[in-house]
Amino acid sequence: MADDAEPKKSPKGEDEEEDDPVEVVLFKSDSCAFCPRAEEVLRETLTDFGGGFFVLKVINVSENPEAAEEFGIFALPTTMIGGVSVTGIPEPDMIMKMILGAKVSSKRGASK
Amino acid sequence: MSDFVIERVKTGIPGLDELIEGGFPKGDTILLAGRAGTGKSIMANQFLYNGATEYDEPGVLVTLEESPHLIKRNMMRFGMDLDALVKKKKLAIVDLSPSKEATPMKIGEYPSFDLSGLEAIILNHVKKLGAKRVVIDTLAILAYKFRSRDILREEFFKLAANITRADTTLILTSEIQSQHDGLGVFDIEAFLASGVIVLYNEMISETSRSRSIEVLKLRGSKHSSRIHSMRITDEGIRVWPAEISTGV
Ligand SMILES: Nc1ncnc2c1ncn2[C@@H]1O[C@H](COP(=O)(O)OP(=O)(O)OP(=O)(O)O)[C@@H](O)[C@H]1O
Ligand SMILES: [Mg+2]
Repeated sequence: MADDAEPKKSPKGEDEEEDDPVEVVLFKSDSCAFCPRAEEVLRETLTDFGGGFFVLKVINVSENPEAAEEFGIFALPTTMIGGVSVTGIPEPDMIMKMILGAKVSSKRGASK
Repeated sequence: MSDFVIERVKTGIPGLDELIEGGFPKGDTILLAGRAGTGKSIMANQFLYNGATEYDEPGVLVTLEESPHLIKRNMMRFGMDLDALVKKKKLAIVDLSPSKEATPMKIGEYPSFDLSGLEAIILNHVKKLGAKRVVIDTLAILAYKFRSRDILREEFFKLAANITRADTTLILTSEIQSQHDGLGVFDIEAFLASGVIVLYNEMISETSRSRSIEVLKLRGSKHSSRIHSMRITDEGIRVWPAEISTGV
């Protein structure tokens, strides 16, 4: 369970496609009141952005506290894309910015 | 009138338990406040070390500021081998410090979050170790990490209540800002805790400082109301109950 939910941290290998999907990770918990709304906003925004560009991974910290500890994330909901995160219910604009940022940095990583 | 005795958690810090009727009331939240460098972290870690080695009470250290590596190194100077305790499952060190590489950079915050993640992380270790003592070092860093103070205040009440529910004793450290009179950055730290200990390191002359300790409040306890001398020795912190500090 923990292993499935673990997002990749390292830059993509050279042989990988430039258009690999961007990984979007949502940390939530069973008791967190704002988490359901955060998940909704994320799913809607990602759908609007077009499929195939990303994968959404949802980590339930109540079931998998180790994953949250590993990434040092303890305020929920937190959305993590690439090396950056936002805490609280994210606005669609912010999610877009983060995704574009992650795209750019993964392309840079690939062209090295 | 009554024979009712509050169960105490011994700190094992030489001289301190005498000031507080034998120890902290079990399951209480204690605030350990003081300016930078007054010995808050050392005292909190010593509380965990003594619990694990002398009283068979495992502990959880949640570090929000210093890296575990530095904490272990610093405590080793007092002959306290935290790594050995971790190996024996008497201590868990939860690294939530900024030094952690895997932690993403926070670029945004909306005032719609809680600290249920922190609670889940801590309670996971408490359960695994059967921990009786928890230290969160330090509250101050949260005020820098998050803008939404109101949320933090409320969340910390919940967090402290949920950690101490099973009679686990909780120590929170809090930094007193040099320009302020309060006991921490939230101004509510003292309400949050049922006990408040303040550490000082004041100038007593142009060329020297003197350390001291004050039990500002401790619910359910007849504690000393004076300021006592304290020193950081090669064996860690030591309090002189009979010595009233003249430094403050
Ligand atoms: N071996 C030692 N002998 C004597 N004093 C020491 C020793 N090691 C550390 N100290 C003193 O302890 C201080 C650090 O204590 P500690 O880290 O507990 O402070 P703190 O209150 O947690 O500070 P901060 O607010 O910066 O976290 C040092 O500044 C030093 O004065
Ligand atoms: Mg400290």
